[in-house]
Amino acid sequence: MAIDKLTGEHSLLFIRSEQLFDTARRKSLWYMAFGIACCAIEGLMSASGPRFDFDRHGVFFRASPRQADVMIVAGTVNLKMAETVKMLYDQMPEPKWVVSMGACANTGGPFREYPNVVLGVDKIVPVDVYIPGCPPRPEAVQYGFLQLMEKIKAQTEVRLAARRDSN
Amino acid sequence: MLPDVTVTRRILDGVGITASVEEVAILGVVCRVSAEQARTALRAFRDSDLAFTFMVDLFGVDTGEAIDVVYHLRSLARDEELFVKAEHAYDSALTSVWKVFPAAHFPERECAELFGLKLADHPNPQRLLTTDGVPPLLRKSVRLRGPEEVRNR
Amino acid sequence: MSDPREIGRPSGSLAAPDGILPAGTYEPEVLPAGLTRAPVGVNALATEHLIVNMGPQHPSTHGVLRVLIELDGEEVKAGEASVGYLHRGIEKLAESRRYSAVGTLMDRGDYISGIHNEMAFALAAEKLIDVEAPRRANWLRSLMAEINRIASHLVWYGPMGLDTGAMGPFLYAMRDREVLLDILEDVTGQRMMFNYVRPGGVLADITPAAEKKIRVFLETFDQYLDEHIEILAGNEIFQARMRGIGVIDRERAVGFALTGANLRASGLSFDVRKDRPYAAYSELDFSIPVAQEGDCFARFMVRMEEMRQSVRMIRQCIDGLPEGEFTAKVPKVLRPPAGEAYGAVESPRGELGVHLISDGSDTPYRMRYRPPALYALQVGESLLPGVLLADAVVILGSTDIVLGEIDR
Repeated sequence: MAIDKLTGEHSLLFIRSEQLFDTARRKSLWYMAFGIACCAIEGLMSASGPRFDFDRHGVFFRASPRQADVMIVAGTVNLKMAETVKMLYDQMPEPKWVVSMGACANTGGPFREYPNVVLGVDKIVPVDVYIPGCPPRPEAVQYGFLQLMEKIKAQTEVRLAARRDSN
Repeated sequence: MLPDVTVTRRILDGVGITASVEEVAILGVVCRVSAEQARTALRAFRDSDLAFTFMVDLFGVDTGEAIDVVYHLRSLARDEELFVKAEHAYDSALTSVWKVFPAAHFPERECAELFGLKLADHPNPQRLLTTDGVPPLLRKSVRLRGPEEVRNR
Repeated sequence: MSDPREIGRPSGSLAAPDGILPAGTYEPEVLPAGLTRAPVGVNALATEHLIVNMGPQHPSTHGVLRVLIELDGEEVKAGEASVGYLHRGIEKLAESRRYSAVGTLMDRGDYISGIHNEMAFALAAEKLIDVEAPRRANWLRSLMAEINRIASHLVWYGPMGLDTGAMGPFLYAMRDREVLLDILEDVTGQRMMFNYVRPGGVLADITPAAEKKIRVFLETFDQYLDEHIEILAGNEIFQARMRGIGVIDRERAVGFALTGANLRASGLSFDVRKDRPYAAYSELDFSIPVAQEGDCFARFMVRMEEMRQSVRMIRQCIDGLPEGEFTAKVPKVLRPPAGEAYGAVESPRGELGVHLISDGSDTPYRMRYRPPALYALQVGESLLPGVLLADAVVILGSTDIVLGEIDR
């Protein structure tokens, strides 16, 4: 109905606060500069460089985990690094997401047979998006971020649906 | 490029070490000493006329019976290279040569940790690369993960 | 220049030096919250030593390096580097890979300069199987190595600006690096982990598209390099932050087995390309930049000059590329006879060596990767006592360390 278009769920005039917040979160995902290994050069330095400009998606790096939304785990996580990864994840304020970039962070990568390597960062922190590759191209990392934005938008729909169903 | 074998042997005799010095194919001149004599031999080579003042590398090899600690020396003045191998028994002590070559500081920590040797006379005898509880990973007895273990991660 | 330790210490007491306070100042004997005012004349800034942790997540460490710093105010009393956050077992895994597959592991050591890593291993393996790469392969190796050297120095140059507070040069470096990565991608198929240099030769020949890109690059880069030098080295603040900082004298450099640009900035001109020639370097015409001061600025200028020499070498390689095969005939599965060999290359960080021990089987028995950055880190750590905290960052950055190489 016409009145629904103005005041309903996806209204043209009003916006639910969840939708506003989630749009703001989606369009300005600031990642923590945390490059462990080779993937950092491609996914963090090259992707933020002038050719594969990450800033046009609103994505920018922050030095401190307290100011970041996303943690890109770029590189192999080993036993010594695992404590640090967990500590940094705990320091990030909610809402936070984790992007696992590259084969090493996904499942251990080319170093999976070495006993000192942790088989994937999802053994330590919950991961939202996995980006395959060794290293993934900067465009692949940007695509991963676009998928993360879609995921955040899908979570908005879930919350709106829960609110509508509870009413 | 290769130091003279007799001169090298004479330097070792001068400090009272009887060791084997021979020219090996491809690699060059290799000098074999025992673990206790390693530091004396290195100091002799550094202070001698051959002037082996540059330590290119320090690493270990697990030969199956013992750990061979290899010191790769270079003389910048004469452009010569020398390999000194010292055989250490498993779990024995690795005497630090950092007073002779300060460059040995980190490589010795790494060698001791990855081959299970104990550091002696070292200013900071801690692990370098791994955390406590990790076995000496470069030993042949420590196996890599198998495919089943990786697949069922 | 005045002794940097004097900066920041108050010249007088906390109160006004001549005792005359502005009218209307409220001067209680006991300040709020029970604090008593310090008597005039005492250095109320007396501090105890604070241990600060820098890293492994820090925007100014070049990889996952952790440095524990004991601070007295702003001055570093002692520093200890803690590495191993990237220890992935390249040496151990090489013992279970065939010789043609070890190149993929070596790529990921010093990940910024993959060609040099692969070349060190290929040289050692070729010594064991007694095969020489054909002349065209050697020229292609030199060409790709010099392109990789410029790309690696640009990755060092960008963060060097960031360490001193300049954010612009980083983007210029990335812009120029993309051109080089395009060329590398055209020839090897990959932007970063090339797996291009194999024992016996190289993977593939150079394509006409890549040749065109190289010529376009050669036309423009000399001018860009002048701009890069002008932006940072022509900046007064950069010079003040780099001159006289982190001086490495020759005795320290030799004692700590320093190689590469770090050594050449201290006055010694050892370069593996000239002193132990490999690939096509004995036939190319280039010079080795050497500086005498040994400070951070000298290391900076040596690396910028090295980029210029690399451009010169690329021009010679692309103009004079000889005809012939791009690889010798080697079996797919190499089984070198039992023996040992040491192959070294001049990587952007220094002398990168591979000591290879074979027992006659199709996998190496022991592969030792000699990391130049490990020795550079040792020197950097030994220079920390006595400098200011901001200088500590600059010193570690000027030695061009990559943790993938140090930790292997």
